[in-house]
Amino acid sequence: MIKQLRVTVDGRVYAVTVEMLDEGSDYGLPPPIAGARPLVAPVSLAPPAAAPVPVRSASTPAAGAGEIRSPLAGRVVTIDVKPGQAVNEGQQVATLEAMKMNTYIYAPKTGHVSTVLVQPGDVVEEGVVLLAIA
Amino acid sequence: MPISKALLNALEQKRRIAYAAGGEEKITERRRKSLLTARERLTALFQENTFMEWGLHAQHDCHRFGMESRPMPGDGVITGVGYVDGRPVAAFSQDFTVGGGALGRIHAKKICDLMDYAQKAGIPLIGINDSGGARIQEGDDSLSGYGQVFFRNVELSGLVPQISIIAGPCAGGAAYSPALTDFIIMTQGHASMFICGPEVIKAATGQSTTMEEVGSAATHAAVSGTVHFVAEDDTQALQITRKLLSFLPSNNVVDPPHRPTPVVDMSPDLALNQIVPEDPKTPFAVHDVIARLVDEGDFLEVQRDFARNLVVGFGRVQGVVAGFVANNPAHKAGALDIDSSDKGARFIRFCNVFNIPIVTLVDVPGFLPGIAQERGGIIRHGAKMLFAYAASTVPKLTVILRKAYGGAYLAMCSRDMGADIVYAWPTAEIAVMGAEGAVKILFKREISAAGDPAAREQELAAEYREKFASPYEAAGKAMIADVIEPAQTRGVLAMALRNTLSKRETRPPKKHGNIPL
Repeated sequence: MIKQLRVTVDGRVYAVTVEMLDEGSDYGLPPPIAGARPLVAPVSLAPPAAAPVPVRSASTPAAGAGEIRSPLAGRVVTIDVKPGQAVNEGQQVATLEAMKMNTYIYAPKTGHVSTVLVQPGDVVEEGVVLLAIA
Repeated sequence: MPISKALLNALEQKRRIAYAAGGEEKITERRRKSLLTARERLTALFQENTFMEWGLHAQHDCHRFGMESRPMPGDGVITGVGYVDGRPVAAFSQDFTVGGGALGRIHAKKICDLMDYAQKAGIPLIGINDSGGARIQEGDDSLSGYGQVFFRNVELSGLVPQISIIAGPCAGGAAYSPALTDFIIMTQGHASMFICGPEVIKAATGQSTTMEEVGSAATHAAVSGTVHFVAEDDTQALQITRKLLSFLPSNNVVDPPHRPTPVVDMSPDLALNQIVPEDPKTPFAVHDVIARLVDEGDFLEVQRDFARNLVVGFGRVQGVVAGFVANNPAHKAGALDIDSSDKGARFIRFCNVFNIPIVTLVDVPGFLPGIAQERGGIIRHGAKMLFAYAASTVPKLTVILRKAYGGAYLAMCSRDMGADIVYAWPTAEIAVMGAEGAVKILFKREISAAGDPAAREQELAAEYREKFASPYEAAGKAMIADVIEPAQTRGVLAMALRNTLSKRETRPPKKHGNIPL
């Protein structure tokens, strides 16, 4: 059986996929292929603050050059970073509000904030660029 | 008289040629790309030594365009039955090293014969797709071959689970067979699936695009919503297949493989009491809730990257298999929209045909407002959720976690949509709409007549929230079964699932309902 685990080592959080082999039935896996990637691939995420570690899809369609687009129409509540500030992947950069709920925006990669295009109070459409990480 | 050695040798020789498939060179090429061969994929799927192959000696009989001098071992596809977790499963695996895995008449016949058997035997069908498409030399026979496969995909639909793996190219008409099956698992990198590729699009419309944009696993998982699981490579794709099968019955007349624990553990899970934030505007992670409800936190999420405002997937609650449908307040405030309605409805209908109980976790503020939603048809898409739930006769258990407003509350399997038991947490707000919106309408005159309208509105909203945005109005009218502490949820669900497993609900016979599509 395959398990998804979240493992914390020395404060760093890893998302790990594990296959349990001692399950009784033998699946007859083929011998390892030279050059194939190993099954367990640790992915390091930014250490969580108060909020749980965000589940981000690795397959978000390309939004050119580190642009962070609004995932929904709403009002900007906070911008948590300044232009020039260094940010880590997974770090919270903004909060939007829609339908009386906060939606948190996280940095998709590590870098520096190159531009901030909105400010608290602005109303934005879905897909509008909020800020960019270089 | 012992059987003639010459006959046995001849058989051995024929087998060796068939197993060699497209030859050493082509097989080495695949290894270089980290791809398994067609046969290795089946070995990775099935328990050791359980695979019975049919059609090893099948040959095409095409005499046109030089085909007579091109033998194709097995006509480019391996078909047969093996065992997964002790249960028989039918599978076909297209062999790209043999004529590009292209589909001709005999290739299609082998698959169709396998599908007919799967239907009669009542066993799941797994299709490993890796093919250049139709064998052009066979012309109409190839096209008809696809037609026959599609027809059987539809015949089998709802009789046995059908899972497709896209492990290589799957282009044009060939993409419709997986599209007709229940679940699609696609590998990253090598696999591609499209009707018209970038070259055809460019030639026909002038638009420039890339395979990554229109045919990749990433695009189909996150944007088009066609693919249900993305695998890193062939091996993981087959692991996902086995994992998925472990929740499913072999066919529609048996139950899923429930393994109910001998004792139902009703002890409270105090961690669940900590999960809902104080601030009603702060979303909580619904994945964390589900992880605490399912055994060993083992939840197989389906379509994780698509319509992330709704989470669907399989898990067990103290051994009993259930399909979960849950709003995800971290995305789009957990509101229902076009994509999430499609995702939810299809999952609900799959659970219904295969006798899988459905657990619905509700925290929904409504349907997502917007011009794109309205013009995009949120009316007819949202209706799919209502239709799917109302038409389902499997056990349906609903737990209202926080907000449950308006039509979206109905669409999340309310009592009236046929939920067998509806529970609510003390944090539940079951209402026609949120307090602010409601008081604007109900107390319009009073607010505009007040000295400080804004303050009066706030006051009235607070009163309304206190009185109506709670589970006790609905509980008072016996519209929900009970208000429970979050910590009780796992035990309560485990018990309720067991009780409702014997559910039997009859509906007036008809060919089928007309679900809005």
